[in-house]
Amino acid sequence: MSSPAIQVTDYSWKYLHSTTRAIKNIELIVQPGECLGLIGSNGSGKTTLCNSIDGLIPGQYHGIKEGRVEVFGTEVEEYRRGELQRTVGLVFSDPEAQFTAMTVEDELVFGMENLGLSISEINRRLEWVCDLADLSPLLDKPPYEISGGQKQRVALAAMLAMQPRVLILDEPTAMLDPVSRERVFAVLARLRKEREITMILIEHSLEHIIPLADRMVLLSNGRKLHEAPTRTFFSDLSLLRQEGIHLPGAVGFSGYLRESGATTDEPAISVEEAAQQARNLRGAAKGELS
Amino acid sequence: MNKTLLGYVPDASFIYLVHPTIKVLFLLVVSLFPMFISAVEWNVGLMVGLMALTVASRVNMRTLKIYIPVAVSMGMIILLSYTVLGGRHPDYQVITRIFGFPLYWERIRDALVVYFRILPMILTMVFFLSTTREREIIAALRAVRTPFVVTYVLAMSMRAAGMVMEDFRIVRQAEQARGFDSKNKPLPYKIRKYVMYMVPLFALSLRRSEEFTNALVARGYSFRSKVKRPDYILSRYRFAWWDGALGVVIAALFALLLVARYRFGRFTVEDSVLLRYLHTILIPGGGA
Amino acid sequence: MSYVDVIDLAYTYPDGTQALHGVTLSIESGEMLSLIGQNGSGKTTLSKCLNGLLLPTSGNVVVDGHDSKSSSISDMVRRVGYVFQNPDHQLFNPTCRDEIAYGPRNIGIREPEVTERVEEAATVVGLGSEHLTEHPFFLTKGLRQRVAIAAILALRPRVIIVDEPTTGQDARQAREIMGFLTTLNREHGHTIIIITHDMDIVAAYTERILAMAKGTLIADNSAREIFSNPAIMERASLAPPQITRLAQALGDMGIHPGVLSLDEMIAAFEGS
Repeated sequence: MSSPAIQVTDYSWKYLHSTTRAIKNIELIVQPGECLGLIGSNGSGKTTLCNSIDGLIPGQYHGIKEGRVEVFGTEVEEYRRGELQRTVGLVFSDPEAQFTAMTVEDELVFGMENLGLSISEINRRLEWVCDLADLSPLLDKPPYEISGGQKQRVALAAMLAMQPRVLILDEPTAMLDPVSRERVFAVLARLRKEREITMILIEHSLEHIIPLADRMVLLSNGRKLHEAPTRTFFSDLSLLRQEGIHLPGAVGFSGYLRESGATTDEPAISVEEAAQQARNLRGAAKGELS
Repeated sequence: MNKTLLGYVPDASFIYLVHPTIKVLFLLVVSLFPMFISAVEWNVGLMVGLMALTVASRVNMRTLKIYIPVAVSMGMIILLSYTVLGGRHPDYQVITRIFGFPLYWERIRDALVVYFRILPMILTMVFFLSTTREREIIAALRAVRTPFVVTYVLAMSMRAAGMVMEDFRIVRQAEQARGFDSKNKPLPYKIRKYVMYMVPLFALSLRRSEEFTNALVARGYSFRSKVKRPDYILSRYRFAWWDGALGVVIAALFALLLVARYRFGRFTVEDSVLLRYLHTILIPGGGA
Repeated sequence: MSYVDVIDLAYTYPDGTQALHGVTLSIESGEMLSLIGQNGSGKTTLSKCLNGLLLPTSGNVVVDGHDSKSSSISDMVRRVGYVFQNPDHQLFNPTCRDEIAYGPRNIGIREPEVTERVEEAATVVGLGSEHLTEHPFFLTKGLRQRVAIAAILALRPRVIIVDEPTTGQDARQAREIMGFLTTLNREHGHTIIIITHDMDIVAAYTERILAMAKGTLIADNSAREIFSNPAIMERASLAPPQITRLAQALGDMGIHPGVLSLDEMIAAFEGS
């Protein structure tokens, strides 16, 4: 059997000047092509975990590492310089800080240049990401002149152009307005349909993570508190409530129906499913009455 | 429609067909022309030529109007500094005396020469900035094989400048929102308050620098990288035959100018028909 | 006449972009509102017009009887405070104490009263005395945001506008900030205007919504009314909270389309 895309084994990390470990004994396996949703409150270790998979930790930060973090079977520290970044792409929440070029086009190309791709290959990929993220009209613009949502699509496309096998998104829409947010998630959904790509998505908005994620993980205080396939993840809401996670309306309502014993159905995770659950119950109630 | 360095937007224009390297060559060489031309009418001719180029490049001429007051006041300053503040020179030719102060022909002549040297230089710069984008400067530098790190740092600083300006604007508003009112306040007070802006600007750049370094690493960039970069940007700007021709024309014009000036003594003050004519008007009967 | 009156306000930026036109609204003292709309819909421009940072191109902004066009900036900011989204843009002083005192000193408050205002503002936002001597730069983002709010509070404005207070915060932090803003509103009588993209926050905390699109006000009503009006939501390019959408999907079961919370949804369902 081929190795998992990501395998984290008994991994702990302590930042040099911190008294407690930011990550505590985490075990995690992500299979190729899988999308993992990572949730938890600020400071729970989500970003630290992601930076560990991309090699920013321990590359850019000082601290103490225990355990193993492997990407496609190789420990991240054993990758040659720059090699890991070809495999794992990282998109941050603040697109502003990621830009390095004078035009959107140069921005998209920068990473590919760093990979040493040929000009014809660059042009081919450029066309692909422009189509995927709908960026063609923006190519000539300076990155600081476009809107926040457009910036984030550029940042995402710049990363995708490098065709990483693993894509990590660290709250990619935290700074965006609702329409821009929908568009970024639409790009991600299309990407998942068109290519086999392993994805880790950190996001506070469960409503947006649910349709994409195959599996969800809840982190708290550096520990993995809960892990399950997306639907099963919402079987028991008490833990999520206790962690202060904001539940989408449909999940909350379905949770009420299940907890009150009205239904034994699986948890609903979309508006349509929750509506169907409610209908079924009322239909059943009417059926009993008549 | 493209935004250029000065923020003016030439419409579809032949200027986009010219390779950035040639544009930079044009800036560097043509702005030297006036240094070797003292004859006012030739510099005026150069200005007319530059204006014609600017118009032909479809730069929005209305936006250039803001330079007129600058040009006029600069002219006044030069004239004043050459005449009123010019000192006494017994051997110069006096045109007239104002309140006993002599007004010398030579000083007025020199003021004219200097003024009409500066104007075409500025015009060359304005033409260049109105028709060139930041990215083209980078492309030009890369075309002449400047090391990547140098052009990269340059590009970064241009970008950072844009970001800092934006931050600066917000910080100023944030200060106003706290009741800071610089109206009717003495200058030292204003300066002290300006220094305060540095604090948040510094804090912001510190906080960003971490994210920024991470972003660079994540994009596979390393200053010590051994990977051969393909230089995509240059693939967008190809040298065409006309670029070569333009380069030759610019170089030839410069060579011609130098030869005419130093071999045949043309373009000098003495060679200027206009100045000679002006001299006969201002000092009737006075020999040169 | 209300505490804030905006009359046919238009604002055009110097570069010719028309950011606002035909905005007319009134805000009473003690209200809690949210200002919603897409980026570029004019929310921020409107807020800056309210506190005099921007002066109307045409029309008027009158706060407590002061027309912004004929008042000084310090007259305006002591009535309407504006908290910028990023605390790092607005913290310039070496200690939190100086930071909070900065505004009152600018508008000419005398020193004993400045101290009094600093203490009060710090208490309201929950900053301990140990924080007051610290440099704001070294505080956590949440605390920096509190310092930024305290700095505005010390000006004692009746109206406080907070630009996207929950962006980048997790659910618990967001609840904490909103709880705190609600306290300012209920117990201290401040009018609070929240600029936000988070419709759950809008539904949970604010009674009145000002919805903007393309530089003008397209709706001024309760959350219930606005969320159950698809035409307005569409014009503002916004979607109501998921729980409201669920209620709307079950409209044929007699569930009101303006349901705003899970509790309301459960009650409506049980009653259906």
